[in-house]
Amino acid sequence: MIRFLAISLLSIFVFTSCSLKTTEGLRQVHFNKAEVENLYFSNPEIDYVYKAKIEIYKKNFGGILIIKKIGPESHRVVFTTEFGSKLFDFQFEGDTFTKHFVVEDLDKKFIINILKDDFKLLVNESAMVLAVYESKTQRVYKTQNEEQFNFYFFEDRQEKLEKIVNTSKTKERVEIAFTSSMGKIADTISIKHNNIKLKIDLEKFKEE
Amino acid sequence: MNNYFLILFLIVFGSAIQAQETAMNTSEIASFKEKVIASAKMTKSIKTDFVQYKHLDFLADDVKTSGKMIFKSPNLVKWEYTNPYQYSVIFKEDQLLINDGGTKSKVDIGNSKLFKKLNQLIVNSVKGNMFSDADFTVSFFKSSKYNKAVFIPKDKKIAGYIASFELLFNKEDAQVYEVKMVEPSQDFTRIVFSNRTLNITINDSVFSN
Repeated sequence: MIRFLAISLLSIFVFTSCSLKTTEGLRQVHFNKAEVENLYFSNPEIDYVYKAKIEIYKKNFGGILIIKKIGPESHRVVFTTEFGSKLFDFQFEGDTFTKHFVVEDLDKKFIINILKDDFKLLVNESAMVLAVYESKTQRVYKTQNEEQFNFYFFEDRQEKLEKIVNTSKTKERVEIAFTSSMGKIADTISIKHNNIKLKIDLEKFKEE
Repeated sequence: MNNYFLILFLIVFGSAIQAQETAMNTSEIASFKEKVIASAKMTKSIKTDFVQYKHLDFLADDVKTSGKMIFKSPNLVKWEYTNPYQYSVIFKEDQLLINDGGTKSKVDIGNSKLFKKLNQLIVNSVKGNMFSDADFTVSFFKSSKYNKAVFIPKDKKIAGYIASFELLFNKEDAQVYEVKMVEPSQDFTRIVFSNRTLNITINDSVFSN
């Protein structure tokens, strides 16, 4: 009886740990490349400027998100109000995170950590591939993110990055979805959290 | 050699010299203030286009947005951005009424002293009449093109957000035509007004969401 219970518990553990829904309906295939890339913020010549709408616990905020590649492994990420006052100003350089400026109201550890993780995931350009999955229309690359994983979903034909899903071993945490007409710049970006009620929608400024 | 250098210098910096500013003397300050206050008193309403430039040092170009601003005396203001997106804010008593591309929201600013101060700045800077504000040290400059007032916050908390606040005034009618907010990092926001019409009738319904 005890053995049965132990086996049941063990199997529940094993099954739940395999039940990450991110890869449901996908089949694992052989590696075809060692690194996966997100090139949406990779051109140092471009000022990436987006109108941002943030919904947190049913409250709405707006602003402007500005991303610029300022070095081989370095991105500046600045968020301002519509009037131009800075709300935060971060720099990501490899694994180094620098907080240049944060308004007092936002300068709380748990908020900074969420923003840091989200924007690092957004601007990070390449990661080592752990596994590759496929469906009829998509190719999915699994990468390690400290204790967690990231899944990069590409539209199969044009190798266009459609979304990145950040997961723990068992649960999806954050999903970043992209739309891009040209494939080089993301026109819209949607960052959605599953464990907290936070959603960030970004829309690229129209060219004049 | 010296002359040659001077000529070169004038060619390169000529335009800057043209607009060179000098500090106003006491009597100039007094008459300038008087003119601005008189002009602000006469101003019952303002409707104007504006272009906003957000300058960040690391960017190739300033972030440019534009729209319309409507002011009705004594303290109703609407900022409406129309390019490249639709976004409007109405300053009304202790509230901000926001319409972000169709998503409407309301922010109470009654409790936040800092926010109230920042909004008061925006409202007053539209009229230009903020010389009596005890929270700022004001200095005055003039050039052939404009008169300029520079406001430096005394309050440490405000100084954490704004290093200085500059208003440029037309020489003729003493109206504000440019606002510049400089951050402690020296990045700044510049708002340039154009196509201004004064004292037309503006319905109160403009200031509701």
